[in-house]
Amino acid sequence: MAALIWFNEDGINPDHEMLRDYADAARIYIFDLPYLQEWNISKHRIQFIYESLLEIPDIQIYKGEAAPILQQLATQHQAREIVTSETPNHVIRSHQREVSKFTKLVVYDEVYPGKEAAVSRRFSRYWNKHDREWMAR
Amino acid sequence: MQQLRTDLTDRQAIADYLLEEFPFVKDPGVLSPHEGGRSKGLQRLEQFPVEKYAKQRNFLDGTVSVLSPYISRGCLELEEVRQWALNRSKYNALEKFISELAWRAFFRLIYIEEGDRILQDIEQPKVAMKGHLTTLPEDIANGETGIPSMDTLIQLLKDEGYLHNHARLYLASYIVHFRKVSWRVGADWMYSLLIDGDMGSNHLSWQWVASTFSNKPYIFNRENLERYGGSVLPGDPRRDDPFNYSYEELEAQLFGGSFVSQPARTSGKYR
Repeated sequence: MAALIWFNEDGINPDHEMLRDYADAARIYIFDLPYLQEWNISKHRIQFIYESLLEIPDIQIYKGEAAPILQQLATQHQAREIVTSETPNHVIRSHQREVSKFTKLVVYDEVYPGKEAAVSRRFSRYWNKHDREWMAR
Repeated sequence: MQQLRTDLTDRQAIADYLLEEFPFVKDPGVLSPHEGGRSKGLQRLEQFPVEKYAKQRNFLDGTVSVLSPYISRGCLELEEVRQWALNRSKYNALEKFISELAWRAFFRLIYIEEGDRILQDIEQPKVAMKGHLTTLPEDIANGETGIPSMDTLIQLLKDEGYLHNHARLYLASYIVHFRKVSWRVGADWMYSLLIDGDMGSNHLSWQWVASTFSNKPYIFNRENLERYGGSVLPGDPRRDDPFNYSYEELEAQLFGGSFVSQPARTSGKYR
């Protein structure tokens, strides 16, 4: 089943397991212009992202609006699913919700210790609760 | 839908190309010393003497990992950096570094739970802030405050897209408490400039400084700045020095008795 791998700015990892799981999928990144302009994102960040993307073999980099471009690419590639990685960024999460309206979206969770739902609002309490997990080999 | 080229390797050529493709972006005139890519992040990881971190991390010229751009952009994953550190050094030397990774996870968890509500006050401020400025004064944006230490930090941020964490706290405190600018305005500005801009870590740290995500406002004084500023910061003129006071004097000057300590919420939803 054809798929697209959609990288976001919080997960530019050429060794990510989704690349092994979807070895034949086209690799896509989109510089979302409304986001860059609304948040006045600096050239240094754009360059850091771009340089990081260049380490992903066969990466296709686009600029425009993320969800409409993905819809077009999904049609072109006859992709049945779009694969991406978890991010806390609320703007990218809203793009993910838009994408999931027109295709199946597979999101790879980020893995780290102490991942819980209703987290304390003070780090000291969080750390007291999870320090052993964090310090465990 | 426009596809960008991927055949450039020279960093200056990449910079020139990106300025053409993104004409709304301001040209900083210099290349950041922080080059993107997982391979660069792995090199930095291998060169990082994690055993020195706990003692030196607060000093602006001390040993820190400078891994944040690579972790924030996902070139390196939190868990792999944690595993690397655990295999590298003894438990006691590691705890501080690992707890800093946990801070990042903590911010991510709050951000995922709250979404764009982190752009508003998470809690009531513990000091008066209603009259704070809602735009960033130009002298701050331009790095022309007239205070050499703060101007140095602003210029570093603009030139490199990165600042040491302690420097970020100094700058945030200066902007919010000494200059009375809304934390949100400062946070948006810093977010826009940082290579490792991540709204969870950035905006919640500004709220921590402001006291809307902590029990008290974060302030610093001359003694602290000189102790940790090291070789990075130039000396400031002593005349009209806004930082050259004891913490008690600064609290009285900056907050004028408006400091109100409140019990923190323990967890979960607050609305």
